[in-house]
Amino acid sequence: MSTRVLVITGAGGVGKTTLSAALAVTAARNGLRTCVITVDPARRLADALGIESLTNHPGPVAAQPGLSAAMLDVTAAWDAMVYRHADPEVAERLLTNPFFRALADRFPAAQAYAAGEQMAEHIESHRWDLLVVDTPPAGGGLDFYTAPGKMREVIGGKLLKWLTGASLPGRRTLFRMTARPALKLADAVLGGPLLEEIAEFLMDLRSLYDGLSKRARAIENHLRQAESIVVTTAEPTPLREARRFFEELENATGRPGTVVFNKQLPQEWTEVKNLRSPGIPAGVRSAARENLIRWASEVRLQHDIKQEFSTRYGLQLINVPWASEAPTSVDALAGLLIHSPDLAARAG
Amino acid sequence: MTFVSGKGGVGKSAITASLALRDARRGKRVLVIAMSESIGAATHLATEPLSYEPRRIRSGLDALAVNKSDALDEYLRLQLRVPRAAPTKVLTRALSVLAETAPGIREIVTIGKPVYELWRGAYDIILVDAPPLGQLFSYLRAPSTIADLVPAGAIRAQAERMSAALEDEGSAALILVTTPEELPVRETQMALEQLEDEPVIRLAGVITNRVLPELGLTGEQVETLPHGPYRAAARHHHLAQSQQLRWLDEVPAGPRFPYLFGIHTAGEVAEKLADLWGERP
Repeated sequence: MSTRVLVITGAGGVGKTTLSAALAVTAARNGLRTCVITVDPARRLADALGIESLTNHPGPVAAQPGLSAAMLDVTAAWDAMVYRHADPEVAERLLTNPFFRALADRFPAAQAYAAGEQMAEHIESHRWDLLVVDTPPAGGGLDFYTAPGKMREVIGGKLLKWLTGASLPGRRTLFRMTARPALKLADAVLGGPLLEEIAEFLMDLRSLYDGLSKRARAIENHLRQAESIVVTTAEPTPLREARRFFEELENATGRPGTVVFNKQLPQEWTEVKNLRSPGIPAGVRSAARENLIRWASEVRLQHDIKQEFSTRYGLQLINVPWASEAPTSVDALAGLLIHSPDLAARAG
Repeated sequence: MTFVSGKGGVGKSAITASLALRDARRGKRVLVIAMSESIGAATHLATEPLSYEPRRIRSGLDALAVNKSDALDEYLRLQLRVPRAAPTKVLTRALSVLAETAPGIREIVTIGKPVYELWRGAYDIILVDAPPLGQLFSYLRAPSTIADLVPAGAIRAQAERMSAALEDEGSAALILVTTPEELPVRETQMALEQLEDEPVIRLAGVITNRVLPELGLTGEQVETLPHGPYRAAARHHHLAQSQQLRWLDEVPAGPRFPYLFGIHTAGEVAEKLADLWGERP
């Protein structure tokens, strides 16, 4: 069975996780065997799906037949990755190495790469008609697409090359290098044989390269075939992140076919007519008028921003209206897409 | 030297820029330093992308952005006092590998810039558009991380001076920015707890941004409005504001700035916020 994949990206706080769940519920209701991978869902969303706890293994969502859910577990994904690609002895050494933990915890591409590995596993399990992947917010989701390449670079010895000069040394050459006066000076500044430790660590890391490199290519391949949906609002930070997909991606992989503007206000609020209604006190009338004028200016702002975005990148945008309350059930999740048939169609 | 941080998207660059505009208007010599991401600070100051060299934005107001390689170079030459004659190319290369790999090095090099500017003393006020809350503590904690990692040597000595500067109540402070929403407030609360456990820097206060104004109508009055935009917009405001009130209760007292309706550019937002600062005592 081939699995269709929707990758949902966007800055933190735009409602990406909620929309991912809404798409997944809709797909399951359309009869597709569906799995949604979420990143750190808010408590309320987990409640809406009726799930107690999520792991990185998909579990059925009781409230919605046909739907399973899993959560991204970066640490587990990294450990699995090391055991998959390294000799057992090297794997043990890496997993207890403080530099390795630092790299895994902090390198922005690391989290995104781990998410990619997990996505590939779920695709290759052939258990699903549709996989909905909610992505870590780092880099507005752009990292998800560039991470396999970046990981290849880092593991493949970019750092080692910088450290030692142009060519990739063997272990013995490496120790001759660290004996060089300049690096001796570096060690003196740093206060300890730190560089030697790091060089050894980088050598271990490099032994992952063959396996990881093949895997990274497989992930890139899956990403090329996935449908990319970018979620934004009209606020400056999410917009800036959404633009990066068009400005910074060198090739078309991940170039979104669909851009969703979430939390949109009704256009008709801009058509302010006089409030003629007998019996309404003047105070109420003026407060209501003042309020509508404020929000109408916000609607015009949203409109102008969308117009500019769609013209600049030649795109049709999908509006999702502002939802007054966070969804508390699978019905409410599916209901989020009622006024956005173009988006619901992606889950068909 | 004031660091301004908050969850991504709450408007910390806008607040940083507004403080800078306010202080410059009051005749202070102000420097804005964008620490991790510089587009926010640049757009709110209505200027081109920032570089490592301070650029004059207007009278009394300069701005710069920290980038890793320039910061590393400056750190080596000025902070560790590695002589120019030393083979700095190899050293820089070794340290840049270290900065990518070892915990704390990249952070200390980055946070080194504002601290260095503080020591240099060319400005009355340094405002740092700091990394978002998720990363803030790995920067503020970098000096002690280094002390754990490096037993002796120039970096360690420098790390200790730096952490003393950050902990000095008279010279360094942190402002947290939040909006009255669930996730920003929760992250702020977590940061406040962390600051109590690890007092790495003095907290100057919490600023709440994008607070909706009073509607001036009760829920019942809203329902007396005729069906249509007036009622819909009033309901929307009423609901959005009552959700905000719940989270406002959980934010410590501090300056509150209103939601700015319908303002198109980041520069206008910062100027408007600076005007509002001007109206405060």
